[in-house]
Amino acid sequence: MVNSWSKSTIFLTLAMLLVLSACSGGGGNSGGKQTDDGGKNNTEQGKKEEKPAGGNTTLSIMWWGPDARHEATKKALDIYTKQNPSVTFKPEFMAWDAFWQKLPTLAASKSITDVLQMDAAYIQEYVSRGQLEDLSDIDLSGIVDPSVIANLQIDGKLYGIPLSQNAQGMAFNKPELEQLGIPLPHKDWTYEEYFQWARDAREKLPEGKYPIGDTTTWDAFNYYQTAMGKPPVMADGGKTFTLDKTLFMTFYQTYEEFRKAKIVPPAEKAASFLENDPQADPMASGVVMTRGATTGSVSALEQLMPGKVGVVNMQVGPAGGGWAQSTIFLSISANSKNKDEAKKFVRWFIADQEAGQALGLTRGIPINPEVYNALEPTLENKDKLGKEIYDLSLDKALPFYPPAAGFSEWVDTYKKEMEAVTFGQQSIEDAFNKMDKMGKELAAKAGGQ
Amino acid sequence: MNEVKTAHTEKMRTSSRQTKTARQKTKSNLAAGYIFISPWLIGFLLLTLWPIAQSFYLSFTDYSLLEEPVWTGLDNYTKIFTADTTFTKSLSVTFMFVLFSVPLKLFFSLMVALALNKSIRGMNIYRTAIYFPSLIGGSIAVAALWRNMFGIDGYINQVLAWFGIEGVGWISNPDTSLGTLILLNTWQFGSTMVIFLAGLKQVPQELYESASVDGAGKFRKFISITLPMLSPVMFFNLVLGIIGSFQTFTSAFIITKGGPINSTYMYAMFLYEKAFKHYQMGYASALAWILLTIVALLTIINFAASKYWVFYESDGGKPK
Repeated sequence: MVNSWSKSTIFLTLAMLLVLSACSGGGGNSGGKQTDDGGKNNTEQGKKEEKPAGGNTTLSIMWWGPDARHEATKKALDIYTKQNPSVTFKPEFMAWDAFWQKLPTLAASKSITDVLQMDAAYIQEYVSRGQLEDLSDIDLSGIVDPSVIANLQIDGKLYGIPLSQNAQGMAFNKPELEQLGIPLPHKDWTYEEYFQWARDAREKLPEGKYPIGDTTTWDAFNYYQTAMGKPPVMADGGKTFTLDKTLFMTFYQTYEEFRKAKIVPPAEKAASFLENDPQADPMASGVVMTRGATTGSVSALEQLMPGKVGVVNMQVGPAGGGWAQSTIFLSISANSKNKDEAKKFVRWFIADQEAGQALGLTRGIPINPEVYNALEPTLENKDKLGKEIYDLSLDKALPFYPPAAGFSEWVDTYKKEMEAVTFGQQSIEDAFNKMDKMGKELAAKAGGQ
Repeated sequence: MNEVKTAHTEKMRTSSRQTKTARQKTKSNLAAGYIFISPWLIGFLLLTLWPIAQSFYLSFTDYSLLEEPVWTGLDNYTKIFTADTTFTKSLSVTFMFVLFSVPLKLFFSLMVALALNKSIRGMNIYRTAIYFPSLIGGSIAVAALWRNMFGIDGYINQVLAWFGIEGVGWISNPDTSLGTLILLNTWQFGSTMVIFLAGLKQVPQELYESASVDGAGKFRKFISITLPMLSPVMFFNLVLGIIGSFQTFTSAFIITKGGPINSTYMYAMFLYEKAFKHYQMGYASALAWILLTIVALLTIINFAASKYWVFYESDGGKPK
């Protein structure tokens, strides 16, 4: 008896230990895994490029993006080292998700890389936490349009060097629409025209194909609300929250009608779409005729369906529609020990012609007109589409509205609540009430700080 | 007994001088022992115990990673239990998952182990072939494969279409998505099966032989010999299975992203997103401690219940 008792005690202890360590794993490891994997590869990369004897300064740099961007950026770093032998780099590069998982951890330990890529969606949050260096003293005259800089300033200071021009538009399946005799979308189409276009196109499309996609994300509604002249859903860094009930009901009731009339794909189908996946992309798979596309992302779609992509700007309302501005930046860590070298480098990154040639359009249309002009003759079709979206969007563009700091959970919840609506599990009004309540609570919290 | 004791003390007395050196020796042995296990011990203290203690502290704070933690007392716990509907939802999803996937997996792996416990020519090849997928079992690749198989235009629906059945979007339909993940978990039976197989090998052949002599049939032998003899192994697999299932993450994260509409929003994924997507480390730590408590309670209940059905041969074949 004693024997088996002690045996089971040991077993129990072991099991408890397993539970304990396993739980802590659930919290930490699973998250670490992805970033670590990225990190591992990258440190290796970094070591290769670190020349122990050559450099006096080693700048660490981190960015996200696809492979093409990684290759181009590494090439540009090599060029900089060639021009400035005293500076070498320790690059880390990864996908979007991994980047934004890693950055908060680095910020918490005050070990953000010297130079880092930043996005308009997050820059305010990092500035408000004092993580980014003020770059206002870098001379950008002749490189970046002063109005662009004025537009990007946060409390009168510049915290990110803009790299490119970006814009939100829509892509459509040009040959298929032409073949079916459906008129192509035209510049500055209004929301009413867009909805009517979808209804008309339904008549001409075969079963199993749909003119437009369904929508469950907050930004789609935010485009609508702002195009109709109302304030953005979040303003003042999250202190002001506006979800217009009348517009909300109109917008989503239209989509409810569309689901019934098979103008948008059924919820089950919509939930299985995966953008830029050869089989599961809503448009590349041939199922939906249109989808949203940005200057930076349209080339990926074009590569999935070469020669078939046409573009148009976002639907507009009385106030305008879509956005066209710089959304990707290079920033410098406030804790960097090599600020001066880093500042020289970020300026060079957008000013130097050789760097511009190496980087191409891997971050969108280069912000520096001279660099873009040198690239223009050699542009491929996929790059021209990006430029076309930008040109079409520019005159009607509204500002880019990122989710405010602290609203990431609201953004996720919005998608889930709207999904429940598309699956018919919840009424539009219930979804509105939940999102409105949650948003107002967050705004009150942000205002109280 | 007494004689032995006196003899023992006698010996002790005569060798009192030796005892001193022996004691020193024990001491240095002990030190040497600690030095030998120090790589593990230091790792355990720094990388496991310390973070666990820290997460306990953090669970009483509001900590966004970017700013210093702020002490908020029981706020996190109060919010979780009174106001967080996602907590209730993800907990019930996880319980459903555990409730179905653990028994299914145990049953399935036991059946496979029984089938592989026969002496047929080339059995090793079968064993290898069946265990082989488990080598890549919990990986991202398998989850990605599963997503393609059960996608709305996936292989499963293509096969169904041959028979004129229109399949549903298995992973994009909130009614079937969790079932698909349970199926995947069941399919990853390899290691459980191997443990069962080892257990089966331990059952003495004499028991079967004597049962045959008594006229017991195959089914009777399975119920009266195999199952009781296998119960410690079953128990082991059960406890591990429950602990493992409560932490299911990869499949939900890769295949369904927790959706559609939270239908596969596993607790571990909820916790992960709170921590690394919404940067609420304190809240996530509180969630982790609640999970720990739940799993620990279930494990204790399991141990308490085990004395009614687990048989150890060392106890003379009787339940404790």
